[in-house]
Amino acid sequence: MAILNITYNGLSADYPIEMDGRVSDADIKRIALEVVRSGEVPGLALPHLPAAAFDGFVIDRLQNGQRLYLRPKVPFGA
Amino acid sequence: MRIVILGVGALGSTTAVLCRALDATLVFVDFDKVESKNLLAQAFVKQSLGKNKAEALKAQLLNFYGTKAEAFGVRVTKDNVEQLTKDAGLIVDCFDNAESRRIVSEHARAKNVPLVHAAISGDGSFGLVRWDARFTPDAEDHAGQATCEGGEHLPMIGLLSAALARTIQDFVTKQEQRDSMVGLKSITVTS
Repeated sequence: MAILNITYNGLSADYPIEMDGRVSDADIKRIALEVVRSGEVPGLALPHLPAAAFDGFVIDRLQNGQRLYLRPKVPFGA
Repeated sequence: MRIVILGVGALGSTTAVLCRALDATLVFVDFDKVESKNLLAQAFVKQSLGKNKAEALKAQLLNFYGTKAEAFGVRVTKDNVEQLTKDAGLIVDCFDNAESRRIVSEHARAKNVPLVHAAISGDGSFGLVRWDARFTPDAEDHAGQATCEGGEHLPMIGLLSAALARTIQDFVTKQEQRDSMVGLKSITVTS
């Protein structure tokens, strides 16, 4: 069981996800879209989330892939 | 400890102000000059307009708080990164582009110098504080992409800078290396 953390519009929430081997970034985005739309992610229920909501987002795979972070790109600092 | 902050725009300058009480020598590196638009989102005051950002921040810390710092008003390159970060006990990356972040990462890894990154999204809704071992720089959507020129992201810049300053403090005092995610409603420690 891995934990997928989804960040959208400044809000973040965790969602447990069963993964059989490596799941592609595209599939993770598709899963995230579905579970956020369906209200399965506590604190992040957006039934009208646009299909392209996670386009341009990136996925960090930490702790040997047990922690996944779907988040906006963060290019800036200065 | 010598703490070298690379890039003293929005995140770097705000973080530096919050680190002024640390038992450390702060070193600022930035080639850019303070423009009027920067006053809306960065820790610069009107009297610093037209000055180099690193030099201006050094002067502000001394004049306002009596905090001494060092400044280098140059662009970081592969050729000068070693000299600019010489004797650093900690490097703090607040750059605004992936290429500069890669240069400093390669150097820090080669020299085994602790390096922490701070980065914010273009829409100002999300940011990261992440140590180098777990950080991959994100590219801009296009070269020269602007963010926060009107100061609309200033509260998030404050949140993220505070998280970064606390991370720096924890490293200086306890050698801890914690990552954080900063959203609009929470700061979450992720490791």
